Amino acid sequence: MSIQAAQLPAKAALDGRGRAVAVGLRRVLGPDYRMGMLFVAPILLLVLALVAYPFGYAVYLSMTRKYVGLPPVWVGFDNYVKLTWDGFFQRAVVNSFIFTFGSVGVKLVLGMAMALVLTSQIRWRGFWTGVLLIPWVAPTVVSALNFLWIFDYSLGVLNYLLVRVFRLLPQGIGWLSEPGTAMASVIGVNIWRGFPFFGISFLAGMKAIPGELYEAAAVDGATALQRFRHVTVPGIKNILIIVVLLSTIWTFNDFQIVYILTKGGPGGATQVLPVFTYEIAFGAQRLGEAIAVALYMLPALAAVIIVLARYMRRGRRS
Amino acid sequence: MDNRLRDLSEQLAAGLIARREFLRKAAVVTGGTAAGLGVLRTMAGAQAKPKLRVWLFKSFVTAGNDVLAKHIETWGQERKVDVELDWATFGDREQKFVAAIEAGNPPDVAEMNLYGPMRYKPALRDVSKVATEIAKAKGGLLPFAEKATKVDGKFLGVPRYAMITVFYIRKDIMEAKGLKPPKLYDPDVVEFAKKTQDAAKDLWGFGQTLNRSDDGDGFMQNILWSYGGGPWDKDGKPALATSNREANLKALQFAVDTIKKHKIQPPGVMGWTDVSNNEAYMAGKLVTTNNGASLYYAMVAKKHELAAKTLLTLTPGGPAGSLVGGSCYNWGIFSKSKHAELGEDLIRWLEDETRFTEYMNASVGQAGPVYKGRADHPYWKSDPNFEAILQNILRSVMPGHPGPMTPAAVEVQAQKTLTDMAGRVVTAGLSPEAALKEAHARVEEIYKIRRG
Repeated sequence: MSIQAAQLPAKAALDGRGRAVAVGLRRVLGPDYRMGMLFVAPILLLVLALVAYPFGYAVYLSMTRKYVGLPPVWVGFDNYVKLTWDGFFQRAVVNSFIFTFGSVGVKLVLGMAMALVLTSQIRWRGFWTGVLLIPWVAPTVVSALNFLWIFDYSLGVLNYLLVRVFRLLPQGIGWLSEPGTAMASVIGVNIWRGFPFFGISFLAGMKAIPGELYEAAAVDGATALQRFRHVTVPGIKNILIIVVLLSTIWTFNDFQIVYILTKGGPGGATQVLPVFTYEIAFGAQRLGEAIAVALYMLPALAAVIIVLARYMRRGRRS
Repeated sequence: MDNRLRDLSEQLAAGLIARREFLRKAAVVTGGTAAGLGVLRTMAGAQAKPKLRVWLFKSFVTAGNDVLAKHIETWGQERKVDVELDWATFGDREQKFVAAIEAGNPPDVAEMNLYGPMRYKPALRDVSKVATEIAKAKGGLLPFAEKATKVDGKFLGVPRYAMITVFYIRKDIMEAKGLKPPKLYDPDVVEFAKKTQDAAKDLWGFGQTLNRSDDGDGFMQNILWSYGGGPWDKDGKPALATSNREANLKALQFAVDTIKKHKIQPPGVMGWTDVSNNEAYMAGKLVTTNNGASLYYAMVAKKHELAAKTLLTLTPGGPAGSLVGGSCYNWGIFSKSKHAELGEDLIRWLEDETRFTEYMNASVGQAGPVYKGRADHPYWKSDPNFEAILQNILRSVMPGHPGPMTPAAVEVQAQKTLTDMAGRVVTAGLSPEAALKEAHARVEEIYKIRRG
């Protein structure tokens, strides 16, 4: 038997295996999987280049000692371990949760109230919708700088109104100079800026609820509160969850309001994670540690994102 | 269309050449043309003007900024250099530098503050030659300027000017009460403030935040030193709650007392930022405050009524004297620059005495001397208020005092460790001992990291 003849069965076996793989792929990925891959390739490349690579690099840097202008030095989980026991970091985590849940809770209530008012028969509804959207539309930096002036003890308009015009207080309040009022102030500004997003989203959801449901409920003798509880809330449930989760992520990562108003002060009372990250990155110029601060809360946020994605997919299916 | 390509397309249309031959010849012609154009572009580039990227510090003294920009533009025209100017101010310069260095795209030349040479050392070029040459021509460097710009025996910055803090007093109120400028914080400033303030009219004797800010941190640093303490010992080791503990405790207690016990500060002072005391002073709400010359400049430039009613004096001291944190703005050239010689030429041009004098005159006391020759300039006698600026500069000390200026000392200041310490006592109810201990742990941590 010649060598060529001996190779034939092996080649046939290889061809057979290749065909089997192709068949398997076709079964799993569908008959047009080659074409599908071709179509997906550009976006896959973009995601890899713009999301996966920077994220992977950030994770790598968070496990290094990286100073400005110097190459990173691998330290493993040292940065994360150190942060876990760092009192300033712990305070920033607690403050971030207070800031986030305080803001989101009130935004939810105000947003719902805004949507209910705008669905009722009020005059100039379009005008009021526009007015209520202004905080959401205005650039955050501009809003925060205005509030910095509004809250000023001596020169701010808030104390002026409370003390001089309405005479509600004998003397002004140091809005940004006491831990309690400073945290309340930054939460207040975040609420002012964020509640229109809740309101407008709920409004869109409420408009999609068929009027017949309300009519039927009214015929059955449901009170306004019962109609709200049993018709409105179920009707906007998915929107409500999505808006709350999105706002939680945004608020948790909010930097501008706290940085401009208090820079994390007084005495660290309003220090939240994004500002702490910034301080470590640009104040201390320890980039590896700063990225570790930013990534530390990622698992918690990832859980929120997973829940959010689940609801968004469910919303699309329904 | 290229004539050769036109010929080829005509031959193809006439059936004289095959499609494959047309494609092959067209590729050769196009490739050759592209290569030729590339060579031409390189030749054109070789004859184009060089481009120099210069980053400047945008100070609150806008007239000085304008003069500086004008000088650089004139230099560019004279030397036939395209200059790309960019500005950064107190709040965004560090971010710009960090981002540019990490992206491998720093400017050619940059105006840096005193932290620049220490912080950006890995990315900076040795400018010892030009720094020494300029210093020699101006009678030598003042000691603080050399300390700020010389790192590991090499100059990484060419000193330009010093911007210092001084003590502002409402002269009219002081004279009406028959008082003299206070020399010590305790009891002079406290008594002065109590005698001059009127809380009912929202007029406060002293305005000095202990909040996270450059002003607050500078004050805390100065007061610790003036009580004989500070975060560092003479060997550059952490001393906040060890060898300097007693002095630091007294200084911290005094700083807190100005708000809590003596009540000589406005109630909202812990929420202040760097501009708040400027605004409060100009609004007539403060009798005294600490600030750089920019506040005086703002009043003079705006012809504000308080300009003539303001007295600038030396920063008050404590039991160990009056120590003031220094400043030294300087020119750095980044190692990535392909035009280092042009950068050096620009620095020489800007530090020319005629041009610097024009800049100094426009800066109303902000451009303080860093060279011995400039300290004797008659300009410093032209306004009685300039004397305090000059003397504060001449006696200023650097971060790390009484030890060396180290990366750890720079970071302790940059992280606002000292204002956080005071803030924890004023607003979080910590005892001064506990706050000192907490801050010391932070200083130790920074020391370990930066030493490692």
